[in-house]
Amino acid sequence: MSDFTRVMKLAKRLTLERMFSTRMYIMLPVLLLFIPGMAWGFSDPNIVLPGGHQPESAMEVLFYASLGVVFGATMCAVLLSYDAVSRERASGVLELRLSQPMPRAHQSLAMILGSWKAILIPTWILLIISVFIVRYRMGEWISFADFLVYFSSTALILLWYILFTLLASSYTREQGTAISFGVGMWFLFTFLWALITTMVAFASGVSIGQENDASWIMLEGALDLLSPNGVYHHLLETRLPQIDRGIVAWQSWFMGLLWTVLPSWAFIRRMEKILP
Amino acid sequence: MEEVVLRLEGATYRHSVYAPLPLKPWRRIKGPGIFEINLTLQKGTILGLVGPNGAGKTTLLRVLAGILPIHRGRVYSRSEEIVLDRQQLRQSVGHMPEQVRWQGRKTVRQALLELGEMRHASEKRIDGILKLVGLSSRKDSALSELSQGMRQRLTLAVALLGSPKILLLDEPLNGLDPVGAAAFISLLKTLTEKGVSIVLSSHQVEGLAGIIDRLALMHRGHILAEGTLKEVAKGLHLDSKTEIKGTGQVPHFSNYEIQDEDVEIEIQDNHWTARLEQAQPHLLAKLINDGVEIAEWGIRQPNVVEMLCAATGQSIEDVGLEVASNAYVPLRTFGGEEE
Repeated sequence: MSDFTRVMKLAKRLTLERMFSTRMYIMLPVLLLFIPGMAWGFSDPNIVLPGGHQPESAMEVLFYASLGVVFGATMCAVLLSYDAVSRERASGVLELRLSQPMPRAHQSLAMILGSWKAILIPTWILLIISVFIVRYRMGEWISFADFLVYFSSTALILLWYILFTLLASSYTREQGTAISFGVGMWFLFTFLWALITTMVAFASGVSIGQENDASWIMLEGALDLLSPNGVYHHLLETRLPQIDRGIVAWQSWFMGLLWTVLPSWAFIRRMEKILP
Repeated sequence: MEEVVLRLEGATYRHSVYAPLPLKPWRRIKGPGIFEINLTLQKGTILGLVGPNGAGKTTLLRVLAGILPIHRGRVYSRSEEIVLDRQQLRQSVGHMPEQVRWQGRKTVRQALLELGEMRHASEKRIDGILKLVGLSSRKDSALSELSQGMRQRLTLAVALLGSPKILLLDEPLNGLDPVGAAAFISLLKTLTEKGVSIVLSSHQVEGLAGIIDRLALMHRGHILAEGTLKEVAKGLHLDSKTEIKGTGQVPHFSNYEIQDEDVEIEIQDNHWTARLEQAQPHLLAKLINDGVEIAEWGIRQPNVVEMLCAATGQSIEDVGLEVASNAYVPLRTFGGEEE
């Protein structure tokens, strides 16, 4: 059996364990309400968004519905993986794992993939349901390219949250600290990032609160590259030509790559040095 | 001479501990650990690691398990000069850590299958191990439902997954009932007969003498003495003691050329027990001739606790109640000389 197959088999076991855990059953109704629920709401033919705007295409509806991923699925990712390392460390199971001949980098990779797939599979299923809801309500399918970008971007944002949470879990000895870090990070990027953007804009002399102010939009677009939620929206916006925030597609994808590689590297390196 | 399966030469590992300063709160320094450990594991033998809390037993086991790196020194395979890295160590070693608190809804078999993936263990092998450790009837039980003894058995099952040549057991008898402990010891004997070498760390030293073939006394990160029980006792200049139990009048041992300070007497009702510091092969005949009523007579070998006290140069209270101190140098060396 190759190393890759072993990693994938171990990841599958971890996925099944987490995907059918009690906390997933608790989070599932929340995900159901957030993801297909938002798709249902935003695809209402009579909807009028703030500013009198009406969604023009199926992809635009799914872009708005991606708020369900940002609010629900990312929180679920945090709650599913916050104790992946810290609980095993506290119980002594981590010591057993570390004494196995499988290289630690492979174990870490299996842990990342296992935790990621546990939230990715239900989220993707709900996104597929959302696509069908939008088709039912608007009579329009998204294009294949839209589909690829939408699903891959969603996979990436969930991976980033999983990586941050695993990293926190590997550094903390108490599960309370691990979940505090995860939830704190979620709050920062989901709610507080707008505040940070506003503060930076104020410090830079950019006018705040004026709609369609070009300098404000550009600054917000640039700062969003430093937030996983922001990069997620930039990636989705690559399929919405009517939105221009001064960031081109390759910049968004490059930042997506950085957000993936750096935390993965940090987590694997951390696990290679971790003590039981 | 027994076949050597593993040899540690000058192995040193020091834990990194926080030592914050006002302007450097993240500062860490090298703290306690194990120092210049030389140890040879022989095929099919049980080595007992004994030492007070904080002696470095668990650290040594983790180094042997390939979990902790060696900062100085080397690990050799068999008698050949093959240096092993941590990855190679983990291939040949099965590690049973102290008190693994298995929890969750996962079943016993699922937990083993998951860890078995890391060792290429087949499902057939896993079922065989479950039977060997006496958990086959509980294989579908959730981990949270297991008693402490069952958790110990499951941890042993994990350690046995890769058919290891060396088994490292950290306090394996904790939580086992007397019957379970006896079955566990019997299992260890079976494994050694199959050529598995075992390193066993335990605080339960009373029954240890009957299990182990060799003994290593640890204190403050050093191995103070290592060898068979007889070799260690001899190296520490500990003689066998004579224990006599009798009834009626307690004899005056000074009449038999035995100093008062060499005798410890306990009196209970009409019975008395005398412990003499040295073996007295001719004393029994003399006592019987003088009409002393002897109920029992025996030669008692020095026990592990006495050996540990002799090796450290401390009393039982000092060794047992000592909190690991900042001084990482043993008080006495094997030969008994002050450093």
